[in-house]
Amino acid sequence: MTLELLGQNDGLCWPWLSVVPLLLGALSVWGLLPRGAGQRRWWAAAVGLAALAAAGMTLLRPAELVVHGVLFHLFSGLAIAAAVCMIANRNPVYAALWFAVVTLCVCGLFLVCSAPFLAAAMTIVYAGAIIVTFLFLIMLAQQAVGAAAYDRHARQPLAATLAGFIVLGGVLCGLQQWFPRSADASAPALHQPDASERPPHGPLAMLPREQSPPADSLSRQRPEEPMGAVRGLGRTLFGSYLYAVELAGTLLLVASIGAIAIGLRGPRGGRR
Amino acid sequence: MNELYNYLAVGGVLFVLGAIGFLTRRNLIIMMLSAEMMLHGVSLNLVAFSQQHRNFEGQAFTVFIVTVAACEAGLALALFVALYQRRRTLDSAAWRQLGEDGFVPDLADEAADRPPAETTPEFPRLTPAGRVPQLPNPGSLRRG
Repeated sequence: MTLELLGQNDGLCWPWLSVVPLLLGALSVWGLLPRGAGQRRWWAAAVGLAALAAAGMTLLRPAELVVHGVLFHLFSGLAIAAAVCMIANRNPVYAALWFAVVTLCVCGLFLVCSAPFLAAAMTIVYAGAIIVTFLFLIMLAQQAVGAAAYDRHARQPLAATLAGFIVLGGVLCGLQQWFPRSADASAPALHQPDASERPPHGPLAMLPREQSPPADSLSRQRPEEPMGAVRGLGRTLFGSYLYAVELAGTLLLVASIGAIAIGLRGPRGGRR
Repeated sequence: MNELYNYLAVGGVLFVLGAIGFLTRRNLIIMMLSAEMMLHGVSLNLVAFSQQHRNFEGQAFTVFIVTVAACEAGLALALFVALYQRRRTLDSAAWRQLGEDGFVPDLADEAADRPPAETTPEFPRLTPAGRVPQLPNPGSLRRG
């Protein structure tokens, strides 16, 4: 009932409505960041959950597919909660595991966005390789039981939280000016009545869904294949971006040589 | 259109949370993981745009982002191992003296939990070069 009301008179209260989850989120992140022993954090967690709920209410309505909406809310809520847990955790082992949760949720969002190859690749690369090597480093480096002193105290939590959420508010305000919050979401932005009065600003206002940007013919989706087809991604990578692929391979080679050169030094800096 | 806004908002939230983690935390590993989370937000934006415009360019860019992130993680791990072998700590404040003295303000809140100051100053160590000189009679030096 209140949701319907909020959705209907959004012309008046919509910009102010989106400030509430931002404020709650900033308060929650500030309260959750580690600030020494004896810190109570349950209220910050409760405020964070309230911020997530408020943010879910202020999001625009998902598309016609209910499954997409449910999966999107599940994965995005879990990703944001795990991200907050990651930056607020005192133990770096748990932080790395929360980062793995964030990665898996982002891969779930990729699946909803019909990018299955990227979801698989990021799961393998991040959750399979990077997290494991980071955990190895943590196990090598942390022999002492308990969190170290530099993990118990964050550095300037209030200033960093304020700066970050001001940036986020600016980004979201800019996005909301691009996207008309109207009930008929299927209508492109150019056909809105008020879009003819003011000049369309932002790249999205000029690009309805039918006119895709002037892309290379190799990278455009062909009608006979679905959007998630790996064939299209391969055609794009090895057709339009062949030189970039070669450069990426060279970059990997140089980075591996550099990592070996750095890692082979002795404990006091000399060559081994 | 609405779906695209939702994805961009979630990507922005991930980016900002990663930035806050990078600014506030002092553990080198968590700073690195926060930077990777910022890259997650960017790649989520790219994939959402790719689906919106019905072409594969955003997904191709995301492949390059994953490549660069893998390189970055490997190099950062090697650097962290080298730094840990020097100071036996993963605190980023232990390397503050790489900057100019008094130029960088003391940003840590607690002065007490700063790592203990080094008793012996660290001098740069040169890589041994050249060959070992061949002395004709090592005993003569000891006598003189």
